[in-house]
Amino acid sequence: MYDVVDFLLNTQLGLNSPDWVVMLISHLVVVGMLFAVAPLQVLFLTYYERRAIARMQDRVGPNRVGYEGLLQPVADGVKMFTKEDIVPDSADKIVHLLAPIVAAAPVLYMFAVLPWGPNMIAVDLPTGLLFFFAISSISTVGLLMAGWASNNKFALLGAMRAVAQVVSYEIPALLSLLFAVMFAGSMSLMAIVEAQGGLFISTTDVPSVPDLGLGWFVFTPVGFLAFVCFFIAALAEGERTPFDIPEADSEIVAGYMTEYSGMKFAMFYLAQYILNFLLCAITATIFFGGWQGPGVAWLVSQSLSADNPAGNPVYNVLAGMLGTFYLLAKTYMFFFVMVALRGAFPRLRIDQLMNFGWKFLIPLTMINILSAALWIAITRWGTAQGFGIIEFAGEPGNLVRWVIAFAVTLVINVAAYWFLARLNVQDHAARQAALTAGGLAVSPPRSA
Amino acid sequence: MDLVVQIMFGVTGLLILGAAFMVVSVRNIIHAALWLITCFFGIAMLYLLLQAEFLAIVQILLYIGAVAVLVLFAVMLTRQIDDPDEPVLFQRWRSTLLITAILFAAVLVPTIYNHNWLIFADPQPAFAGPRELGFAFMNAYLLPFQIAAVLLLAALVGAIIIAMEDQEQRRVRVLTLAEEVALRGEREPSPPTRPANPQPASSSSNPTPPPAPEQAGEGA
Repeated sequence: MYDVVDFLLNTQLGLNSPDWVVMLISHLVVVGMLFAVAPLQVLFLTYYERRAIARMQDRVGPNRVGYEGLLQPVADGVKMFTKEDIVPDSADKIVHLLAPIVAAAPVLYMFAVLPWGPNMIAVDLPTGLLFFFAISSISTVGLLMAGWASNNKFALLGAMRAVAQVVSYEIPALLSLLFAVMFAGSMSLMAIVEAQGGLFISTTDVPSVPDLGLGWFVFTPVGFLAFVCFFIAALAEGERTPFDIPEADSEIVAGYMTEYSGMKFAMFYLAQYILNFLLCAITATIFFGGWQGPGVAWLVSQSLSADNPAGNPVYNVLAGMLGTFYLLAKTYMFFFVMVALRGAFPRLRIDQLMNFGWKFLIPLTMINILSAALWIAITRWGTAQGFGIIEFAGEPGNLVRWVIAFAVTLVINVAAYWFLARLNVQDHAARQAALTAGGLAVSPPRSA
Repeated sequence: MDLVVQIMFGVTGLLILGAAFMVVSVRNIIHAALWLITCFFGIAMLYLLLQAEFLAIVQILLYIGAVAVLVLFAVMLTRQIDDPDEPVLFQRWRSTLLITAILFAAVLVPTIYNHNWLIFADPQPAFAGPRELGFAFMNAYLLPFQIAAVLLLAALVGAIIIAMEDQEQRRVRVLTLAEEVALRGEREPSPPTRPANPQPASSSSNPTPPPAPEQAGEGA
């Protein structure tokens, strides 16, 4: 963006602007684009979710406003704007006002480090992955503020549930993402995406693999297990249906949002949908190659850059468009999975949620970190690093090392899954037995 | 650029001091916890001014995302959040102030005088990036790093073990209302409550009143 603005201002218009003006304008343009993208995504996602869930429930869904109901979200937005803003009399006014802002603002910051296409990222932070989750953890403060300031028991209960859930599922989410940092050797999201070139085998492991942009981390046993764990944890963080206990409408009205109306409620709604979009996008970025896909690498190699001054700028645009298309396609696919889960599964109880997180997901992700370390040791390290476990010289050697790493981590991960699943099933059976012994279980239906 | 950095440092410092003062002077303890979060934010901004972005992000992740949320969570469970009769200053606050001021000065004054301040020296390459920190942890500070890692891992594993512990002694799960009622009826076979019931005649006329709801349920 800097180069484009520099070209337009100084070369085309001849304004001879100083460096900082160019930088300021380019950043403002990028920020403006991202701020425009976020609400538009929310508009589309709400429509998409309502239509998809309606189809699952054998209904039609909103189809009146605009072509096939496409303008329904706009109508909803207008309704939200015109609603009266009600603040409870006994609420803490200032905290009640600040809560939606604290909940929604951090979510928009998360866009800053999301890579949309080759070289298309607002800020390529060296600690992008950590930034993404550090910022998202601020939202929980907003939820707590909303729950407390409403002076409503339902709101407080919802906030408590939300915080307990988000805090305990942040641990498996972050632990399962650690493997990507080890694989890519960087916390920059751009570097993580760039490490996923190749064809089912990443070019970072075996450099001779053709680069079709398909060397996604999910094709390794380590990445696959981490993907499953992370996506479950992401559902809990985004408060999606199997884990939507913070706003369980059949139990506690609307959780922390109970006392909010009009635009303040819309802010929570916006924050939640942007968060879900971003969680899907980050899943696509870390496990499914982000903007990587067939053709992007070729377009980038044809495009104009410092290394390739003979390239055509049209290819820059095409590479960006194709990369963004791949990213959005993957993101919408994951969002569809979220919607499908909402249509298919009942809500968990809070104790089931905690049991699942602490007894199953966290041990599994910890074993997965061990597998990731073994993977790195087997595929990358030689005697030069002092940790050469297996060494083969030359190019086929890399492939052999990859196969050995695949087999070893597959065995470890399957064994870990099997062991933990059995342990949890036994634990569950024991608790059920304790329930029946205590006379607490619902008596089995007797035949009449 | 130096002037901009100085102004930002001044604003950040004022924010931190003001927030810290509000933490100890506000009556409502939830508001105090929220001001504490503001204070943590200010410290993260100071780290950013020092070009230590990794530390700034970790400050936000740990102190705001975990510590402050835990504090808020605990504070919200207390009953007396705002008591206007409770004095903010207790009786011996002057001597306390003196002692803490002396202790603070004992640490700070030698540091200020002995430290070689490099104010606005040449811009250094980022020395607190994750890579540099990782090398430092794995080379110079290996033993403290390992000890801290084992400690934290032990805490995490301990939490899992407590969760996995044999649960027969404890409440197995949150009970539904019907189960709670059934449990109470079982624990106290209710001879003391029944006589207090103001309808002995009806209970004698109906020989089996307790299973009535179950029968209704079966019929439905």
